Amino acid sequence: MTRHAGRLVPLALATVAVAACAASTSAGGPLPSAPLGGAAIVADDLAFDRGTLEVPAGRPFLLVFENREGVPHNVTIVDGDSGQVRFAGDIFGGPASRTYEVPALAVGTHRFRCDVHLEMAGEVLARPR
Amino acid sequence: MSIIDALHRSEVRSSVLVVRTGIVGLALATAAIHASLGGMIFTLNAIGYTTLAMAMVLPGPFGRYRWLIRLALAGFTAATIGGWVLFGARFPLAYLDKALEIGLLVLVTFELFHLDGGPIEIGRRARRLATSLVGARGVRG
Repeated sequence: MTRHAGRLVPLALATVAVAACAASTSAGGPLPSAPLGGAAIVADDLAFDRGTLEVPAGRPFLLVFENREGVPHNVTIVDGDSGQVRFAGDIFGGPASRTYEVPALAVGTHRFRCDVHLEMAGEVLARPR
Repeated sequence: MSIIDALHRSEVRSSVLVVRTGIVGLALATAAIHASLGGMIFTLNAIGYTTLAMAMVLPGPFGRYRWLIRLALAGFTAATIGGWVLFGARFPLAYLDKALEIGLLVLVTFELFHLDGGPIEIGRRARRLATSLVGARGVRG
């Protein structure tokens, strides 16, 4: 019995390790394609897939946001200088995807973040296209 | 007279039981919501609520300092609500969670008045505890 238990313990540990890895592995899959003249971003494992988002300046654009985990996320864009909110996307749990209609941003550097997890943040580069 | 006293005592006991069950239930519910949000801050918050919920019902030495645990739970809940008002995201699950936390705060405040005698008595107990701690340190030193 003890010998069997001795064999079972590593097996159980390995099973737990595999289960933990499987749980922590992201859903993965191909990145969503950005709409014409717009941008795309993915949230998974409490992080965005990129730290910089390049968008057209001076005109409204579409932003495809794919949330690949059950935890609720969104994308909010704030002005780089004043910190004023320029756009706040719907917060939703995944796996799901939304296409945000973002109003025109001035040329320059802005910030984006998830309103639920403020540590999830990055830069928005608005450039004339 | 003694029958009336006994009945009154049993009523008080059952009302305490109902309120205590509400406190533990609401604390665990808000802990579950915070745990579901992931991330360091929410996980620590969930651990805090779970620990305080357990301390509210654990027997033994915890019973003697239940007033302090109630005070900690009230402070923790108020701080969580305040943090959300200042920095939190506005979405349906967050509003539900705040409703649970306000309910929790109401029940804990009820116990603080009903079982601990309100702010003046709690202040007295806190002073006594601080004096005994300082005294114990003085004896050791």
